[in-house]
Amino acid sequence: MRARYIRKSVGSRIFDASNVAFLLLFTFLVLYPFYNQLVISFNQGIDAQRGGIYFFPRAFTLDSYAWLFKNSKLLTGAVVSLLRVAVGTSTCLFASALLGYITAIRYFSGRRFMRILFVITMYFGGGMIPTYLLMLKLGLLNTFTIYWLPYLISPYYMLIISSYLNQVPDSLFEAARVDGASELRIFFQIVVPISVPVLAAVSIYLMVWQWNQWFDNMLYNTKGNWDTLQMYLRRMLLQSEIALKIQAEAVAYHKFMSMTPQTIKAATTMIVTIPILVTYPFFQRYFIGGITLGSVK
Amino acid sequence: MAIMQPRVFSIRLHRTVQREGQIWLICLPIIAWAVVFCYLPIYGIATAFIQYVPGKPIMRSPWVGLQYFAEFFKNPEFGMIMRNTLAIGGLNILFGFPAPIILALLINELSQGPFKKVVQTVSYVPYFVSWVVMASLIFALLGSEGLLNKLLLSLHLTERSILFLGEGKYFWGIIVIANIWKGIGWSSIIYLSAIAGIDQELYQAGAVDGLGRAGMAWHIILPGIRATILLLFILQMGDILNAGFEQQLLLGTPQTRSFYEVIETYAYRYGIQMGRYAFGTAVEFMKSIIGLGLVFSLNSLFRRTVKISVV
Repeated sequence: MRARYIRKSVGSRIFDASNVAFLLLFTFLVLYPFYNQLVISFNQGIDAQRGGIYFFPRAFTLDSYAWLFKNSKLLTGAVVSLLRVAVGTSTCLFASALLGYITAIRYFSGRRFMRILFVITMYFGGGMIPTYLLMLKLGLLNTFTIYWLPYLISPYYMLIISSYLNQVPDSLFEAARVDGASELRIFFQIVVPISVPVLAAVSIYLMVWQWNQWFDNMLYNTKGNWDTLQMYLRRMLLQSEIALKIQAEAVAYHKFMSMTPQTIKAATTMIVTIPILVTYPFFQRYFIGGITLGSVK
Repeated sequence: MAIMQPRVFSIRLHRTVQREGQIWLICLPIIAWAVVFCYLPIYGIATAFIQYVPGKPIMRSPWVGLQYFAEFFKNPEFGMIMRNTLAIGGLNILFGFPAPIILALLINELSQGPFKKVVQTVSYVPYFVSWVVMASLIFALLGSEGLLNKLLLSLHLTERSILFLGEGKYFWGIIVIANIWKGIGWSSIIYLSAIAGIDQELYQAGAVDGLGRAGMAWHIILPGIRATILLLFILQMGDILNAGFEQQLLLGTPQTRSFYEVIETYAYRYGIQMGRYAFGTAVEFMKSIIGLGLVFSLNSLFRRTVKISVV
């Protein structure tokens, strides 16, 4: 568009070429570490230690993955993570959307009160320790509930949904009310269907967020029986006892001798990342949509 | 509403209950949730000012005022912690703030097409990956057996592996680069959409005035997104004390502690790991007060000089 008005000088062309080159390099640098891990995860362990594996596995093997999938801790971690995503996303979406709808009801006298009640929490919070003590008192430590209940209502998403609904003509809801529908019914049968684009964007943010959470696991669920996949990966990164365990098993079961902590870590990293990378192309456009919806605020 | 409100309060109340009763009913559990999970912790900040004994209600505990705050300031590690926090936060802003702007400007200069889309899409992949995964990638890259060292060794640029993650002096650089890697693409989206909002006529006027592409960028684009830049700058400055937390916990090692310990990790270490709840609360609270103060003072400064305001 602008280019029409500018003569393409030599300097301009040089800039364009170097810009493309630079951004190509940038793209490569951003993606390569992931790719490198992918390649290492498919390589034999002892061989990988020699280094020099850059683009293709030198000695291909699926053993690292096989060992991981036989490992029950990884599988429970995966189940917990998936459960988190499912429960956490659906509950937060429902509660925040409901609140978003309520704050969009024009004649509701408590509308401003509810809105401010939650907006304040966006800026003021108790901090890590008072929250921890509260969870302690509520008996939520070492439970699954703590993965979703404290996050039930998100003021940010409430605002997004609320401003979206404010653009919807009130007559839609009034008609239903005149017909005697309850507010909950209006919510499920009218609000939800017309808000699908917003809800889709918000649910994707929520799913990614829930999948990536690890610190609440570390802080609250210290006993380890509710460990998520992220936590499993973290343990693996930081503890060398995994290394010893692998070595011991490798000696005992000869067929798994081709793994090392390095390849196991690489495989685990890929397992944790793959769900996001794979679904990424599909939901990518919702992120942009979500931002513009949020920028109404 | 065109309907006149009746003067008698009881009738008004009755009407309100009729129309809004259901809504208020739904609101009750919502309000209860907010009180429990959002406002009770705020009340818990009071533990920073009392001699806290677990189990004893706040109201009945002896008041110690600013004792914990004083204790934090007098702590010999205080200097190190503040230095790390400000250094990491400051470097994050120094390098991490311009980076997405520059990326947005460069991407904007690409002609429309698949390459432009690919660059954008790829640039925000790291944003969606967790810090645990990032840490794993960083270990694999910078570890003593990692990719970078293997590369350096094979090119004979160094005789022995450089312990990037084991020596404190590299830590700040690593963290800043990691933050940029993770956030640059995502933040650039905001700037790109701001750039898209610039009036096209300004470009034409600039061309008439003889501006080249560099001139366009400097005289039209940057001033055009000035509001966005300053807004985000204020917000990020207010965050300067939030020099990261997950990154330090994941990337830090005991050897690098003197470089990675920041206010939040300190509060976590002493507040929760060692159970000194009141002390940890005081430390965290102090940090948020300073952060708020920074936002407000920067905001009023900007409001008076350049007429931009967040609050």
